[in-house]
Amino acid sequence: MLLSYLKIAWKVLLRRKFFTFISLFGISFTLMILLVVYAFYDHTVGPHTPEKKVARLLFINRATVSYKEGDGSNNGTISYSFLERYVRPLRTPEKISISTYFASTAAYVGNQKLDVDLKYTDGQFWQVLDFDFVAGRPYTLSEVQSGAHVAVINERTCRAYFGTTSGVLGKTIETDRIRYQVIGVVKDVPGMRFNSYADMWAPISTSTQDAKDPSYFGDCMAIIQARTPADMPVIQAEFNRVVDQVPVPDPKKHAKVHVYAGNLLSSTVRWFNNNSKPDDGVAALMGKVALMTLLFMLLPALNLINVNVSRILERSSEIGVRKAFGATSGTLIRQFLVENVFLTLLGGVLGLVLASVVLHIIDSSGFIPYTTLTLNPRIFASGLLLSLLFGVLSGVYPAYKMSKLQAVQALKGGRN
Amino acid sequence: MIRHLFTLIWNRKRANFLLVAEIFFAFVVLFVLGSLLVDNYRKYTAPLGYTYEHVWRVDMDPNGQPISRQDATFQRLIQHLKSMPGVRSVASTRSNTPFSFSDSSTDFKADSKSTNSDIYSAGDDMQDVLSLELAEGRWFNRHDEVAAHPPLVISQEARQALFADEPAVGKIVRAMDDKEFQVVGVLASSYRGRGEFQELEPAIFQRSENLVDPKDTTNFDRPRLLIRVQPTATAELEQRITKEIAAVTGGWKTTVTTLPEERTTRMKFALAPMGGMVLVCGFLIFNVALGLFGVLWYNISQRRAEIGLRRAIGATSSRISAQFLGEVMVVTTFGLAFGLLVAAQFPLLGVMGIRLPVYLASMGLATVLIYVLTAICALYPSQLAASVRPAVALREE
Repeated sequence: MLLSYLKIAWKVLLRRKFFTFISLFGISFTLMILLVVYAFYDHTVGPHTPEKKVARLLFINRATVSYKEGDGSNNGTISYSFLERYVRPLRTPEKISISTYFASTAAYVGNQKLDVDLKYTDGQFWQVLDFDFVAGRPYTLSEVQSGAHVAVINERTCRAYFGTTSGVLGKTIETDRIRYQVIGVVKDVPGMRFNSYADMWAPISTSTQDAKDPSYFGDCMAIIQARTPADMPVIQAEFNRVVDQVPVPDPKKHAKVHVYAGNLLSSTVRWFNNNSKPDDGVAALMGKVALMTLLFMLLPALNLINVNVSRILERSSEIGVRKAFGATSGTLIRQFLVENVFLTLLGGVLGLVLASVVLHIIDSSGFIPYTTLTLNPRIFASGLLLSLLFGVLSGVYPAYKMSKLQAVQALKGGRN
Repeated sequence: MIRHLFTLIWNRKRANFLLVAEIFFAFVVLFVLGSLLVDNYRKYTAPLGYTYEHVWRVDMDPNGQPISRQDATFQRLIQHLKSMPGVRSVASTRSNTPFSFSDSSTDFKADSKSTNSDIYSAGDDMQDVLSLELAEGRWFNRHDEVAAHPPLVISQEARQALFADEPAVGKIVRAMDDKEFQVVGVLASSYRGRGEFQELEPAIFQRSENLVDPKDTTNFDRPRLLIRVQPTATAELEQRITKEIAAVTGGWKTTVTTLPEERTTRMKFALAPMGGMVLVCGFLIFNVALGLFGVLWYNISQRRAEIGLRRAIGATSSRISAQFLGEVMVVTTFGLAFGLLVAAQFPLLGVMGIRLPVYLASMGLATVLIYVLTAICALYPSQLAASVRPAVALREE
């Protein structure tokens, strides 16, 4: 039965090529745009190198100190001392890593300046995150403890500074007039992964971070690894209890210190909202995105409905015959929905192809540094899901209209 | 004629409803996009208030030097850099340099009026560094060190917000914590530190203070400079400055970025979403146009009998095509009427925070575009209708 529906659908598609083109163009471009947007989302917060274990990672990257009067607050990234004092002693996490945010430094190749984004990390950093090493190894806990001047650099910096990516291990790189010995080379990390991104990583003990600094604000962050995904709420609860006990910097002025540990999505949203409120704003953002997606799909869907309605009227004699031979409205609706979903799936496949082309263009344009946007199974699945949704959305009304045709009129080839 | 067209459309109201809905949404999309683009164009063409060519930003990290010594080192460094060949002028500043992603604003009161304003911190040479033009008064100088009230220079927008048409120079202005400032100068235009796409908002300059607050040593800032260099300056000067700073200060780390570079980054951030939206909306509109074309074409091929009859009783082909074009225009007008009704809510509810003239301009623009679009889509089908030969059409019936 299904097969014959599909055969009919194929024949109908071939009958009026211009209409088929309009439908497929609308569907495939709509899906392409949605897929490109989703690819960006997946690229930012999905499980990719180096945050492969994203379901087990919590990020602490912003603090808010609220004022007693008015609704003013200070927002910012957190100091090294705060993280050492309140995050390092947590008992429920499996591993804890503290690092600075990357900061721009200057290296010179001859007379040419080379911008090197440097990030200081502890040794756990390399255990919590999974970098792709091209050569060498990460620095160890003991190397961090002893303040060894060793560094891991990315491929781009390696190529720009040494002119090659092979045989650089053991050579020294000098940036901001400090010399480091290169012990590892990793693949470039996209800039959108700002929790792990850098051009060069060095032990935090070689930086000027001060564990006794009284300020709560600084330029550091913590990444916590849980034993299992189910452990995440337990860790968050323990951390919240700890933060509740943190004294405010000035009891006369300040009301409370807010710091939250969130997953990659939640901490990214907090980062862009520049705050650390109890509500991370993910629900609100997702609501907005869902609404925008629906609104965006509405226009192409209306278009498809319009075209579909026209095409059905063209087939009124076929419908009349089927009705006259006893086909029920339900059967006809089902047949038409199947046909429409077939059409949208076809458009979906085209959309996936188009999306991969567009993503390739964005990658190779270098507009966003180090992006490697590619189609992956998650994007593929969401593409098919979206085309199903689209097919049903645009098929229901025409199918209903089709089933309402009177057999006699339909046989005469009339409309309405 | 028009009444007749309305009747024709009313008779096919169900079929036309979908067309009306489609035109309505297309209009809303064009209107919202148009409002954004027109508003951004208005901002882009407004004066920036300063020049950025040959200006470099120098961020320094004292690298662990005790904060009690930083201010003295910083002052010595500024004097030293000024005498370097290739450097024209040097002024200290805070993190909200032009095109940076950092901003800072606060409330100011003057007599009865108050305003929220961007607050910038600038050294005595900033007027030369950023080529700021003054309409009244003067820029900061070293005599302000001992002034009874710390001096302020305000932009035209801040002047309007605080003093309207009354004289501003010499007036006392209070900040949030009731600290009193005195206005010593008014800029000739606005000052938009966040770049070309910032709204024309009040901006106020205060004379840069010590890096470390003498009353509260936990409150300190990093040393930052804006430097105007000679137009011939190259990366060689950049390296020389970096070395010079390290030598004079005893090991401060330096990052030099040029303002044109910063501007490019800022532009990228502003233009990329706009470009994306234009592409997406362009696709939506093209999609609608294709659909419209298909549906109209189909409808006309369905109405061959009617056309044949009209031709047979003497209608000219141009009248036929005029009828179909007219029908489409009436349908479009319906869609636009709903669309305008919705669009009118935007300024009434203040949804996007854009000024009324911009909304009106984009309403006009979107209306014209939609009419043009539907006319183009209807042109070919209506010509097709006009070419129907009455004998053939009637025989089919």
